[in-house]
Amino acid sequence: MRRPRPRTVLLATALALALAAVFAPRLATRGTAFRLIAVVDVTGSMNVRDYTRDGRPASRLDEVKAGLRALAARLPCGSELGLGIFTERRSFLLFEPVEVCADFAPLDGAIANLDWRMAWEGDSYIAAGLYSGIALARPLGADLLFFTDGQEAPPLPASGIPPFEEEAGVVRGLIVGVGGATPVPIPKFDRDGQEIGFYGMDDVPQENRHGLPPTGSEEREGFHPRNAPWGGEAASGEEHLSAVRTDHLEALAAKTGLAYAPLADAASLAAAIASSARPRPVPGTWDSAPLPAGLSLALLIAFFAAEVLHARRPHPHPTTRIRVS
Amino acid sequence: MSMAVDQPLLLALLVFCLLPLVARALSGTPVPGLVAVPRDGLSRALDVALKTAGVVAIAALVLGLAGLHLTSQSVTRVGSGAHLVLLFDRSASMDNTFADRQPGQGEESKSAAAKRLITEFLARRPRDRIGVTAFSTSPMPVLPLTDHHDAVAAAVAAIDRPGLALTDVGRGLALAFSTFDRDGSGAARAVLLVSDGAAVIDLRVQAALRDAVKRSPVRIYWLFLRTAGSAGIYDKPREPGEDTPQAMPERHLNLFLGSLGVPYRAFEAGSPQAVADAIAEIDRQETAPLTYVERIPRRDLARPAYALATLATALLLIARLAERGLGAQPASRPRDAARAPAHIRRAA
Repeated sequence: MRRPRPRTVLLATALALALAAVFAPRLATRGTAFRLIAVVDVTGSMNVRDYTRDGRPASRLDEVKAGLRALAARLPCGSELGLGIFTERRSFLLFEPVEVCADFAPLDGAIANLDWRMAWEGDSYIAAGLYSGIALARPLGADLLFFTDGQEAPPLPASGIPPFEEEAGVVRGLIVGVGGATPVPIPKFDRDGQEIGFYGMDDVPQENRHGLPPTGSEEREGFHPRNAPWGGEAASGEEHLSAVRTDHLEALAAKTGLAYAPLADAASLAAAIASSARPRPVPGTWDSAPLPAGLSLALLIAFFAAEVLHARRPHPHPTTRIRVS
Repeated sequence: MSMAVDQPLLLALLVFCLLPLVARALSGTPVPGLVAVPRDGLSRALDVALKTAGVVAIAALVLGLAGLHLTSQSVTRVGSGAHLVLLFDRSASMDNTFADRQPGQGEESKSAAAKRLITEFLARRPRDRIGVTAFSTSPMPVLPLTDHHDAVAAAVAAIDRPGLALTDVGRGLALAFSTFDRDGSGAARAVLLVSDGAAVIDLRVQAALRDAVKRSPVRIYWLFLRTAGSAGIYDKPREPGEDTPQAMPERHLNLFLGSLGVPYRAFEAGSPQAVADAIAEIDRQETAPLTYVERIPRRDLARPAYALATLATALLLIARLAERGLGAQPASRPRDAARAPAHIRRAA
């Protein structure tokens, strides 16, 4: 039998590969996804407008919502995201984690609907809220994303951060610090939700006078061990101004086994989640068809290109090359 | 029905489709003079066919690699159902049993019973668009109107988490009504209020609620989870002075909702079974015609594209295997020799 011509071999191989692409199996793979609960602080200090969005001042809450929506769009399919809010001393679960791709529309709508008016109290016990967020996430097997500016209102007592009684590191995740580094005034609203100015120094407690007084208070003006253990003067301070309390949040993160990250674009948030939250395998499929299909394409191109190159080679004898057609 | 690709950059490879137009699939035969060959219509047609096959093979492979697919789309259909907003009371008392105790072994809290029964209810109503709102001390939008029932189930699953202190039912209702604001579909609308108590509704909120239902009428169902020994919806005042919203908030909320001038039904349920009966009744009521959207998922066309490429490549290969030069030596076997003229024609 005659030896087949090389171009015919090319073409036959391309055909075999194309046929292989039609019947190539879809292989099962393991993807990485996350199961998260995002708890958003909706207390008063989150109304501070120290971000800029589209050239206009944007509140911290708006920035968190925009960041969370972008994050929901970015998380790998198979990841699940639940939503909760935090005020007073409690995290309140709105819904359990839902799949970020299949249920993106309601998830996105729900994040967009977050509002400071959902807050049921003005207080902001961040540590207690964080602990209850961890308690929410734990039975769901989820990791926590806790968005807050870290401003405790009222301020922490002299004894510092309340003890974390659960096991640290069982629930993992991120504390996301929201807000600028410069202290700025906090907007004040009336009972109808109209903005009526900013909080002044006398509007908020500047010092927590529960529990034991801090060491060194006996040096204060007007100190009396029974009648004025915190000193004789009204506390003054900057609790009516708000900036992100990075140190406090990092201390909380260290105590609870979470990681700390400042609020940034979705890409860096996703990277921070990938390094701190527990990845969980989700079944994925990998289509093996592109492999033979790509090879087949390359061979087909080679098949035609060979002819072009061949045609350009001069013929040894002066012949007229015709196309028999 | 629109098509799209996943990797548009790969479409640049389509430039190789020009290759079969300049390069021939067959080897051709050098011939000293063109005049020796007669014009032949069939040969020209075969030439065009082979060029087309080459172009199709390359184009189909490129499109398949780029991930050609029919995009997912929505089809509007008509079924029966409603646009329903669930309004959940998330106050702390919902965490107790119907007997007003902490749930013990084998007992179910009111919120857990409501969660279980409403999850079943939703499973029977796949076409409803459902929104979820909650209220306690303040009203909370949870989910906008959606036909993603998985998300609704996740929101219903969250209602047995520890609740908050108070019951501000008036502002909760206002929020539930406002959920329909952006819903211009004209479907039947209903609000299902699930609570175990009531509270005084501020007069201004009352006026706002009357306003809201005038603008866009909704049907209202109140599933009242009555705790043993507590006041009921239908209690009569024992003495005239007691008949105030402050003293009997449940009775007055019932009277207020009845006075809104929209279809309203209250179900007083003192046990999980009574709740199930009430939900079955609501299920029977809410069967108006509803246009709903059905999603048709995307369909991958890569495999059909590869199949097309296979077909085109097979044609090329057949043509090539059938090719004989003009000066083809007669095959060794006479049977082949007899067919040779046909081969020459095919090869052209």
